[in-house]
Amino acid sequence: MDTKFSNKTVNLPLWRGVAIVAGVFAILICAMVIVNYLQINKVDPVNTEVINTLVERLNENPKDVQLREQIREMDLLVRKAFFTNQWEVRTGAYLLLLSIIVMIIALQVMRMGKKNLPSVDEEYSQNIITYQQNARKWVSIGGSVLILVTLFLAFVTYKDLGTRFTDAAKIAKAETVASEVKAAPEVKQETPKSVVAKKNEVEKIEEVKASEPEAKKETKTEVLEKPVETEAVASVNKYKGEYPTKAMMANFPSFRGPGGNGIGYQKNVPTEWDGASGKNIKWKVTPELHAYNSPVIWGDKLFLSGADANKKQVYCYNRNSGKLLWTADINNVAGSVASPEVTPDTGHAASSVSTDGTFIFAIFSNGDLIALDMKGKAVWSKNLGVPDNHYGHSSSLVVFEDKLIVQYDHKKSGKVMALSTKTGDEVWRTDRKVKVSWASPVVVKNGDRAEVILASDPCVASYDAQTGEELWKLDCITGEVGPSVAYANGIVFALNEYASLVAIKTGDKPEVLWEAYDYLSDVPSPVATDKYLFVVTSYGLVACYDALSGELYWEHEFDNGFYASPILVDEKIYLMDRAGTMHIFKADKVFVSVATSKLGEKSDSTPAFADGHIYIRAGKNLYCIGK
Amino acid sequence: MSEILKYLTQTWNIKKLVTLLSLFVLMMTSGLPLLAQQQRFPKPEFESGYTQPVTSMPDARSDFFALFDVFVLILALSLITWLILKKRSRRGVLAVSVFSILYFGFFREGCVCSVGSLQNVTLALFQPEYSIPISALAFFVIPLVYTLFFGRTFCAGVCPLGAIQDVLLLRPVTMKTWLQKVLGLIPYIYLGLSVLYAATATDFIICRYDPFIGIYRFDATFFMFSIGAIFLLLSAFVARPYCRFFCPYGVLLNWMSRFSKHHLTITPNKCIQCRLCEDSCPLGAINKPVPVKVMEDRPSATKRFIKLSLIIPALMILSAWTLSNFHENLAKVNTKVSLANELMLFKPDAMLPSVEVEAFKSAGTPVEELYSEAAVIVEQFYIGAWILGGFLGLVFGLTLSSLSVFKYREDYTPDKGECVSCARCLKYCPVEK
Repeated sequence: MDTKFSNKTVNLPLWRGVAIVAGVFAILICAMVIVNYLQINKVDPVNTEVINTLVERLNENPKDVQLREQIREMDLLVRKAFFTNQWEVRTGAYLLLLSIIVMIIALQVMRMGKKNLPSVDEEYSQNIITYQQNARKWVSIGGSVLILVTLFLAFVTYKDLGTRFTDAAKIAKAETVASEVKAAPEVKQETPKSVVAKKNEVEKIEEVKASEPEAKKETKTEVLEKPVETEAVASVNKYKGEYPTKAMMANFPSFRGPGGNGIGYQKNVPTEWDGASGKNIKWKVTPELHAYNSPVIWGDKLFLSGADANKKQVYCYNRNSGKLLWTADINNVAGSVASPEVTPDTGHAASSVSTDGTFIFAIFSNGDLIALDMKGKAVWSKNLGVPDNHYGHSSSLVVFEDKLIVQYDHKKSGKVMALSTKTGDEVWRTDRKVKVSWASPVVVKNGDRAEVILASDPCVASYDAQTGEELWKLDCITGEVGPSVAYANGIVFALNEYASLVAIKTGDKPEVLWEAYDYLSDVPSPVATDKYLFVVTSYGLVACYDALSGELYWEHEFDNGFYASPILVDEKIYLMDRAGTMHIFKADKVFVSVATSKLGEKSDSTPAFADGHIYIRAGKNLYCIGK
Repeated sequence: MSEILKYLTQTWNIKKLVTLLSLFVLMMTSGLPLLAQQQRFPKPEFESGYTQPVTSMPDARSDFFALFDVFVLILALSLITWLILKKRSRRGVLAVSVFSILYFGFFREGCVCSVGSLQNVTLALFQPEYSIPISALAFFVIPLVYTLFFGRTFCAGVCPLGAIQDVLLLRPVTMKTWLQKVLGLIPYIYLGLSVLYAATATDFIICRYDPFIGIYRFDATFFMFSIGAIFLLLSAFVARPYCRFFCPYGVLLNWMSRFSKHHLTITPNKCIQCRLCEDSCPLGAINKPVPVKVMEDRPSATKRFIKLSLIIPALMILSAWTLSNFHENLAKVNTKVSLANELMLFKPDAMLPSVEVEAFKSAGTPVEELYSEAAVIVEQFYIGAWILGGFLGLVFGLTLSSLSVFKYREDYTPDKGECVSCARCLKYCPVEK
């Protein structure tokens, strides 16, 4: 009879040896893999103590190139080690599997070689009745346990999710409708008040005397000492005034113009000049101390500040002649301390001054804040505490009626406050849970609210300019925020490098209208009209988007980068590059260059505008462009 | 269409799924998936001049090669069926097993696979927008058809998941038969869950938790590699643990195989009751003779059978009600439901948002839309849980009642449902043709 079993002999000692070697190898590899795996689990390659310490040191001294390189090398080493470990675990695991398979094959062959004949029990072994009894019992037990455990878990975790989701959807829908109803008049109100309309309004003003404190007329008498929290009370605080005021629009009272929104309302602004030949350069002066802040204008006067580690000054020039009217040395500020270490590209007076036509306000790197009258005499001063800011404080000041708005977001604490322009007393203050910000506040009238809009990691937030109450907040921005926001037609635009560009439909429940990632900025701020948004990058690219949809209309690359923010004046964008060339192009759906005028001196400051004139801080000088 | 796109983008990282849907992806215009890959977070910029690689989807397998896979499947099935039924060759089965491990396993990386294809079929049945790839449908149907006529020859050596376990079997331990019966119910639960999740377009759980696919692709996570390694190690001592106690497709094959007319027989002729094959099956899938003397007396067995049969509806209702109460937990596997739940519990003032919440917020989708969709999905799970519970109650009830049935048997025969036609038992039979 052919048993079908092979008669071939198997080299048992050989296969036993293979099995033993494979087995021992498997045990060794297994131990190594486990040790390696535990090592990987302990290490977080992006959060090592040594590198974190070095990064902190670098933050204190960002210009230390050697330290920067050292950190990069160490970071690379740590990452390499991590990924090598991962590779080792993976390879080890497959070696382990392979060795086990080899061992099993060897054992298989050994088993085949042993030629065990099938054994047959003497007695019939299966008791089918017992099998069925046991099977019934355990199927019943298994089923019951499953039912009980499932029921227990079901009742412990029951949340009626379906109903809750349905309710939540209804609530969310109701809130959206409510916010849309609320937001609708805002947009409608703003639409006719386009930039051009506002410009025309300004044109109607026959003359605005520089000394005339127009802001006072607009000032509301009621000063709220405490933020109002309830919606009912908040609705009482509807803002009925105009912002920016006509006087502000006739001047250039802050960094990026009235309210700090990047829009100027001047006319007959020059487009052509040449620094080398002196064409259209009306005058040029050199302020005593250099700084990166931008000039501001009220009437015939132009103000700017300068500072070094020991000295702080505010200058006032006659903007027609360039004559220095006065220099105010900032001394004797109560509580003042020595200036902190700042980076050279920030300096001790990066924040621009602001004026309301009655006072000039200036802030410096050590937190000294001063109000001067139009003759340069100190009215009040105070120290806000040294800002814990590794580059140096740079947020500029802006005035809302009789309140000076200060954004003071620093490492230890973040806050926004309104100080009385007359006395410097705190009118309101709102603490903010944010990181350091270098952006400046933007104040706008949005529907029936006057809002202070701030950008800082992690949010764009709006505060009632009258009370300081937080109106809305949207977490949508990260990193070291430098650019301020732009506002138009009920939409706020915020961006930062390594984050995103976000268009926010404002309201109690702000919504992200659209987002883009292609062109982001770390220094210059964007500017917006009702239709378009213009984004400027520090590496020289300018992009135009549809303000409502986010559709990219155009992008244009310039030869040099930008630190100065673009200003929209007379339906044109004025944009100063870092090399000192002003690029002037239409604020339109297609890129149309109007003029390119060279000043010939490097500039990182945003220019200021007056009818027929542009004022540019470039290098250590201040230029007046015009005839 | 947008639903499918969303579905694809949500799960595109599961290579298996993407490849399963390859033909479907081909049907879409090439631009649409690119749009769907909208960059969620900005990429870092490098000063060193390093350029970011462009994110891309794996290329779909061309029509020709997809059909070629089907052709190989038919060829392998025909060959192994011939080897088992005509040649009665265990070595032939082993050779086809090695081929399947190499081709369907390592070369095709376990995809397309019949086990996972049942989810594609389910998704196609319940989500009309989804168009099932022809290869996935073929891989689902063809093994079932072969099994209906010839028994589970697909399991014997064509399925790469079964083959890899089979070739590693070293020293099978004899499991208690009642334990096999109890553990054999797990695949029904797995089948029910995988159908529920596929029908609700939630997930392809069979693919996600396939223990061998990561090994075939050399890309398993540590956890999945460990699971796969445990199954393979177990395979040395417990024959085909995944096939017998987990495989949901095995349930369908089991049903089909019961009706197979040309199933493998242990003896090529008349059984001589030599009992040599009695313990030859590592799966314990040989039905032994049941003489009258070992049977329970007919009246008590019949009485119990009637009782157990009568409680089946009660079991179905109990099981369905139980699972319907559990539907929320089942639904939380769905990404939309879990995100909606997270958003509902999220307190912006006291909590940091998770990556998912942040991503959702930055996407700008209206939250009411998410809640409404989540509510609909929870409702689907509620209905699905009732059906699944009823099905499981029926399975348990039928199992219990069938355990009171005694079938008179004289010969040693393979259990048509459980037998995977591995042909190990054949060489034990001394009978000639």
